[in-house]
Amino acid sequence: MAKRTILIIAILIAVAGGGYAWMEFNRTTAKADDLPVKETISAQDLLAAFTADEAAATTRFVGTTEQVVQVSGTIRSIEPAVDITNIVLGTESELAGVVCEFDPADVPADWRSGASVTIKGICTGMLMDVVLVRCTAVE
Amino acid sequence: MKTLRILPITLALAPLALSAQERFATRNGHIAFLSETAMENIAADNRKVTSVFDATTGAIEFAVLIKAFEFEKALMQEHFNENYMESNTFPKATFKGKITGVGEDEMKKEGTYMVSAQGDLTIHGVTKPVTVKGTLTVDAAGAVKASGEFTIKPEDHGIKIPGVVRDNIAEQVKVTVKLDYAKM
Repeated sequence: MAKRTILIIAILIAVAGGGYAWMEFNRTTAKADDLPVKETISAQDLLAAFTADEAAATTRFVGTTEQVVQVSGTIRSIEPAVDITNIVLGTESELAGVVCEFDPADVPADWRSGASVTIKGICTGMLMDVVLVRCTAVE
Repeated sequence: MKTLRILPITLALAPLALSAQERFATRNGHIAFLSETAMENIAADNRKVTSVFDATTGAIEFAVLIKAFEFEKALMQEHFNENYMESNTFPKATFKGKITGVGEDEMKKEGTYMVSAQGDLTIHGVTKPVTVKGTLTVDAAGAVKASGEFTIKPEDHGIKIPGVVRDNIAEQVKVTVKLDYAKM
């Protein structure tokens, strides 16, 4: 009886472990909506933080694991590309902004240049602009 | 000093820009890589490539954020960032070089040209010379598109591959680049 119980428990553990491993192996990347918001900030202040001290801003907004930044600002441009749409939030700089990469299906139909919007995205750092990926609109 | 941090690529080309009349830029370039082995294929895309191209001199630069590479599977992406690219320590990869195979006059008329870009590729903090073969297209409106392909060996850039997964990662990883420029 004891052997049978141990065998059943071992099988259950093996099935659970295998199931977890399978799910983990096939886990897809999370969208910003699936993760908690780490920081809330305006596009201007986000760019200013990276401009003032890129290393410190990277630590704060990019982090060592993926983290979500909620950014508010005015749409400077909407740039459709292959498989994605970029929403560029304007700043005081004419050249630099905050680029938010969306799945085209997730961009609200009524968004236009000049609209004030709030966006959640995973911050990946700064090149010419601060870059957020896997973004979602905040209603 | 602040501006230098905002526009590292643009300002790196500033000396060139002083004499340049035909400069192009993009912030939406696409880089993809493919590691193909009998065990598995590993692919990722980065659609946030920032690049500047000076058609007068042929100078070209591009930069990518390592954490902006997107994988189909989250676990692969995590391993890529944490175990191989160490993206917290080396957050960017860059290329600085020069395109040859197309002249200033050709850049002013519609056509597709076979070109090659030679320069320095910095990945994982290690810089190596690389030659990228590709095409450069000028359309009727004067817009410029560049595409190219090259291979890299992870070990050349100090990326350590543990023996247990050596057979899962290609010795030579194929990289493709597509850049749709707009005039600056």
